[in-house]
Amino acid sequence: MSATSPGTTKRNLASWLRERSELGVGVLLFVLGVLVLTDALTLDADLAGRGPVGPATVPLVVGCGLVVVAVLLSVDVLRGGRGEAEAGEDVDLTEPADWRTVLLLAGVFLGFAVLIGPVGFPVAGALLFWGAAYALGSRHLHRDPLIAAALSLLTYVVFDMLLGVPLPGGPLMGVI
Amino acid sequence: MDSLNSLIDGFGTALTPMNLLWAAVGVLLGTAIGVLPGIGPAMAVALLLPVTYGLEPTGAFIMFAGIYYGAMFGGSTTSILLNTPGESAAVVAAIEGNPMAKAGRGAQALAAAAVGHFAGGMIGTILLVVLAPTVAALAVDIGAPDYLALMVLAFIAVTSVLGSSRIRGLASLLIGLTIGLVGLDQMTGQQRLTFGSLQLADGVDVVIVAVGLFAIGEALWVAAHLRRTAGKAIPVGRPWLGRDDVKRTWKSWLRGPFIGFPFGAIPAGGAEIPTFLSYVTEKRLSKHKEEFGKGAIEGVAGPESAASASAAGTLVAMLTLGLPTTAVAAVMLAAFQQYGIQPGPLLFEREPELVWGLIASLFVGMVLLLALNLPLAPVWAKLLRIPRPYLYAGILFFAAVGAYAVGGEALDLVILLVIGLIGLGMRRYGLPVLPAVIGVILGPAAEQQLRRALQISDGSVTGLVNTPFSITVYAVVVVLLAWPLLRKVIVRRRNVAA
Amino acid sequence: MRLRTPFALLGAALLVLVGPPLLSPGSGSDTGTQIPGLRFMVPNTPGGGYDITARTAAKNAEEAGLTGDIEVFNLPGAGGTVGLTRLVGERGNGRLAMSMGLGVVGAVHTNETPRTLADTTPIARLTEEQDIVVVGKDSPYRTIEELLTAWRKNPGKLPVGGGSSPGGPDHLAPMLMAQAAGIAPKDVNYVPFDGGGELLASILGDKVAFGVSGVGEYLDQIKAGELRLLAVTGPKRVPGLDAPTLREAGLDTEFTNWRGIVAPPGLSDAEREKLVALVTELHDSPQWRESLKTHGWTDAFLPGEEFGSFLAEQDRRVASVLKELGL
Repeated sequence: MSATSPGTTKRNLASWLRERSELGVGVLLFVLGVLVLTDALTLDADLAGRGPVGPATVPLVVGCGLVVVAVLLSVDVLRGGRGEAEAGEDVDLTEPADWRTVLLLAGVFLGFAVLIGPVGFPVAGALLFWGAAYALGSRHLHRDPLIAAALSLLTYVVFDMLLGVPLPGGPLMGVI
Repeated sequence: MDSLNSLIDGFGTALTPMNLLWAAVGVLLGTAIGVLPGIGPAMAVALLLPVTYGLEPTGAFIMFAGIYYGAMFGGSTTSILLNTPGESAAVVAAIEGNPMAKAGRGAQALAAAAVGHFAGGMIGTILLVVLAPTVAALAVDIGAPDYLALMVLAFIAVTSVLGSSRIRGLASLLIGLTIGLVGLDQMTGQQRLTFGSLQLADGVDVVIVAVGLFAIGEALWVAAHLRRTAGKAIPVGRPWLGRDDVKRTWKSWLRGPFIGFPFGAIPAGGAEIPTFLSYVTEKRLSKHKEEFGKGAIEGVAGPESAASASAAGTLVAMLTLGLPTTAVAAVMLAAFQQYGIQPGPLLFEREPELVWGLIASLFVGMVLLLALNLPLAPVWAKLLRIPRPYLYAGILFFAAVGAYAVGGEALDLVILLVIGLIGLGMRRYGLPVLPAVIGVILGPAAEQQLRRALQISDGSVTGLVNTPFSITVYAVVVVLLAWPLLRKVIVRRRNVAA
Repeated sequence: MRLRTPFALLGAALLVLVGPPLLSPGSGSDTGTQIPGLRFMVPNTPGGGYDITARTAAKNAEEAGLTGDIEVFNLPGAGGTVGLTRLVGERGNGRLAMSMGLGVVGAVHTNETPRTLADTTPIARLTEEQDIVVVGKDSPYRTIEELLTAWRKNPGKLPVGGGSSPGGPDHLAPMLMAQAAGIAPKDVNYVPFDGGGELLASILGDKVAFGVSGVGEYLDQIKAGELRLLAVTGPKRVPGLDAPTLREAGLDTEFTNWRGIVAPPGLSDAEREKLVALVTELHDSPQWRESLKTHGWTDAFLPGEEFGSFLAEQDRRVASVLKELGL
């Protein structure tokens, strides 16, 4: 063991960490717990109301719970416990995770949130559907955009015109 | 007997061709709109209010009842097929219903839900006819300490959905409780975990949490591990409920109403907690425990039946006390007032024709709903045969529409995505998502009742156990907690004796 | 294949860009009170007070032929301040209005929002409603004087139920009562409930010592004898109700809840006058008169500038009460 070069130690550390990436969950829970606790402690205790339970009590309990669970979970992981990744009909756990697709999907979704104001729902919605289908591996370049556009326009018509739930129509509203 | 006679008169009103037509139109419109993302029953009823303006009151309310039940059923359809519950009462249906749909048993899940709605609605409405005055009198005696006791009971029940790893289940529950903390504190109006954002002041809607954790989280998780080789479509399977299915579910259908109805009738009951309690009960009692989480049909049948019966319970409080216990009831109350009718203690005397016509049309509407939806179930289920990229793109699309349509705020979309990413992480590391959703439902409710009870008792802790009802519930809780221990003792005794 | 792709893209782009404007209903004439495409925002949930006011007003305006379709939509959140923030953000939009009331004034203070009602264009106050002080039929308090005596003696032991969160109308009314009765508002044991329904159950079940709510909410329960009405909070008695005002009971205060309409800031004079004219015509229409009657609302029409100064005065009053409470 003493003869290992720094390179292999690094690699060992990396693979050790990869094995135990669930520790990240523990860290996140811990951070969340601290966040809840700090937020609870900044509440104005003057308005506490009556009795032993004020606005900060429940957050304090939840925050402490988060910290405790974070520690317990980390201990469990270090002892070799592993959370079982969820299986499902469309899920192939034998394949390595394809994080590129996930990032792409999340990006497309975020794009929808950003674009819906300036370009309107029909355009943003069509881009969302098309982008998501593309990210998930659909490559019908002439069919997909048309399906996406039709779906988006139909949804717009049903919501905005038939039901009166307002959705932004796009930059050309009122111009034509 | 009096109410029976009145009910028969009511059927006379409800079964006139015109009123029958309004009931049918209501059921159809309600289902069609309830299926749309982001539109729950309250929204559906509010949106369709103008449609009823032209009608005379009886016809309008008969149509209303159809819309209400139709919208509730439509909500569970998307919940089962697309994993995107449109309202909080349909959240539980997604847990078992969606895996069933994925496994090609969508038609069965929908049929179990449809029959569940029918059974729940029927039994609930019968209870409404028989018990309305009694229940109404009891309902007002239920106060904050009693609610709190019920919440404690529900929290005990959570332990049975924590999953194989207790610690991971607890982590999930705590994540849910944390999300539930976000928003203005009910009692003092202070902001908690809102980071100064007004949009967060009312908290994160449980529907957004459920859609985020279920639909978005699932879509992202599938994207990470998409089965690229197989490409086979979801099998359609048999279109109807098989004998086995019925054998497994008939008890669930009948049990649901007895959990749902009382919760609907009490002022702060709602439908979320009874659906969840029904789910837990079914899991406990099922002979197929191992199937739970992977598509157990009882887990659809029971909660749906409970949800529907709780809707009937809601009407008890509204018709007899003028007390709107849910958002839908509030909208209906407003509609009553539109016609110059004030629901309340005098309604049954003043407008017997309307009330009994409405109650009779609930029965009629239920039959129509079942007749409409049973044949439709296999048709809906075929929807899932579209290619995977379109299916998941569609789920993302409709989840986004639903989140945006509610308030027209882009921030809601970002919140939805963040919760979806949490859902992804939870799937990756084996944190069950159900406890998180339960945490969001139970946490704020329990805190509110606890603090309200203490406020009413002026801070004295005895205010938490000063009613017979709450003491009874706590006794049940103690027995439940001590049961494993007691059983051990009994078994040991028996062994010693033997 | 190669040729079809660009065509498909072009077709899709055309569909989503040109489709919505072509499909939306003709813009209609812009004459008289007609405001094509007018939208009415409700800053709370369907079924709530502002919602009913807005939907009724929209329906009556359409029926009276004052304008075409009015789109009513809900943007609930933080006691109405989410809607208020959006409204202020829609600067210069003459086709948007928001239904609001006293509750929004309070919520602006409790939430410390940067956007206030002073940023909006006041259109009109429409209705007002007194609050009532009620107890359950088995309550030991038979008159308002008995209640006040007991309340003064031990305010903590007499929980007051109201249907609004701190800062809302049902919270302000008992606080003003307490002030006038010589009870420090901080000693008042106020229990907020989710709206009138839950509150009603607690009053009927004697969970709270007394409840404060709008006069229209519990008329039937009072008539049926389930609730006992002890007092009304306004300046005058309410016709048909046998209860004294607070002033008659020796409390030097009065409280009236109200609802009205505001529009985004930065409107041109013409746009503002048009909205005011529309609401004035609505107020004069037989349909609105009928609605006032069926809902039991009291007419309190106050258009334009006067409504603006009324808003400012209400804002000061609410601010002083809340300041005393430390909210």
